Amino acid sequence: MMSKKRLSTIVLVFVASVIAYLFLLPFIFMVFTSFKELEDSLTATSLFPKRWTLQNYVELFQNTSSSPVTRWLGNTILVTVTGTALRLTVSTTAAYALSRLDVPGKKLIVGGLVWGMAIPEIVTLFPLFYIFKQIGMINTYWPLILPSGSGVMVIYYIYTFLQDFPMELEEAAYLDGASIMKILRYIVLPSIRPVLVTQGFITFLGLYNNFLWSSLVVNQTKMQTVTLGLATLTLGENDNRPGLMMAATAVAVLPVLLVFLFANKYIVRGFTRSGIK
Amino acid sequence: MKVKKSTAFAFVVPFLVFFAAFWVIPFVYGLYISLHKYSFAVGRQEFVGLKNYARILVGDSIHKEAFYLGMGNTIKFVICTVPVLVLGSLALALIVNELPESVKRYYRAIYFASYSVSVTAVASTFVWLMKGTGGYLNNLMIKLGLISAPIYWLEKEPFVWITLTVATIWWTVGYNMMLYISALNEIDEQMYEAARVDGGGYWKTLIYITLPNIKSTFYFILMTTVIASFNVYGQTRLITQGGPGEATKSVIMVINSTILTNNNLGIGTAMAIVMGAVILMCTLGQNWLTRERENL
Repeated sequence: MMSKKRLSTIVLVFVASVIAYLFLLPFIFMVFTSFKELEDSLTATSLFPKRWTLQNYVELFQNTSSSPVTRWLGNTILVTVTGTALRLTVSTTAAYALSRLDVPGKKLIVGGLVWGMAIPEIVTLFPLFYIFKQIGMINTYWPLILPSGSGVMVIYYIYTFLQDFPMELEEAAYLDGASIMKILRYIVLPSIRPVLVTQGFITFLGLYNNFLWSSLVVNQTKMQTVTLGLATLTLGENDNRPGLMMAATAVAVLPVLLVFLFANKYIVRGFTRSGIK
Repeated sequence: MKVKKSTAFAFVVPFLVFFAAFWVIPFVYGLYISLHKYSFAVGRQEFVGLKNYARILVGDSIHKEAFYLGMGNTIKFVICTVPVLVLGSLALALIVNELPESVKRYYRAIYFASYSVSVTAVASTFVWLMKGTGGYLNNLMIKLGLISAPIYWLEKEPFVWITLTVATIWWTVGYNMMLYISALNEIDEQMYEAARVDGGGYWKTLIYITLPNIKSTFYFILMTTVIASFNVYGQTRLITQGGPGEATKSVIMVINSTILTNNNLGIGTAMAIVMGAVILMCTLGQNWLTRERENL
């Protein structure tokens, strides 16, 4: 009996490992190919480079007219950090007020939020793009950052979390004369931190990886994010340079994978907590 | 807590400003645009009522042809990807859940990691894995003697569909798996103990306890996956560039080129609204299905 259980565990781990290898394969291919010489990268039947070279990375970072990678990374950091901060701030205050305070027109606002979640993004995407074009904000940071403030899901998650969260502590602080801002800062914020971390990561990921929207509102190379710049390279004339392309891909993927590894624990927790309602 | 209504409202104002500017106004403006002959370059021309909708849905026009082509291709993509994304992710979740506690989280992280990269990274990697000439897979298969001539994974049908499907699965199946895992963990442990006492094996327990208990998660994942696949853009834009010919041009690609290449904002916006309506019906369908279940 015991040995049968053991055997099935071994089979299971084996199967899981084969699948894991398939999942890792594109990453392995990406990293190794980025260190290959041109000839090797086009004809190779081995993942491993024949001769290791840094040439692809050197070229990628030197060719600042077609691939201004450091500028792209800078743009990306600016857009993701401000966009995420904007969404979390705006959503936290709104969700707190809707959950705890007597907001006039609450029903109307909540109704609007529900429609905001139900109506697909594709409906508002192109008109919004046209508005930005009309007011001359194409190729600026604004259209990449500002729409982030209108995200509805974060409000929903914080609101649901607060509904299940006891408010005695807040009441007590209020009776002791603490201001709403103080209560928000010292009592509410620490308790909703797990939600903020998960939702912050998801917002960050959305901004970092956004392709369709940013391809509409940005077309100058120097204003692009890493994700968009990589698309330009993929569609551009580097068509026959796998090594260079994989070097660019590795640079684009590394920051987000690092954040993923760092936040993995919290994300898993966020998944269990938010659940599906 | 008794605070002034104006103070309470002030907390909501920043969000409302953003929501109005970047959601309500574009939404209403989009409806307005779709009722007009509207050029992307020149602007509004004349009121045409529902004619834009009529031209993309019925009759005989290049716009209708383009829209139906995009819809057809997108539906093909939905059919290719959804079954694997919904059932494959369930299989992964079940495997992860049975793994020994000590290694579980590593496998879970590996399956989920590719979800964090951008579609542009997915595309550039799969282009060079699968490319007809110079691609790794073809080089490898030729060397192993599995094929004698390269397969055109990015250039010919039906192979393009395989490539798009594989790339999409690699990219997103981990997310669905995470949702399943969290649902599996919420099943009451006592049910399993009862089953163990009754002597039910793994498969019996799976069919009679596990699966019925994650039914609403299943519907949720099914609908969100259909919607996500319906929204396909990056993969077809970057991996196959809509080709061969226009065989993999998705609806969003059609809308994009209607507005940017053909300069027709009115028609393009109407297409987006029709597509939005289809997606909205999927969402409502999912709500309805889960509600049905809870009533039983």
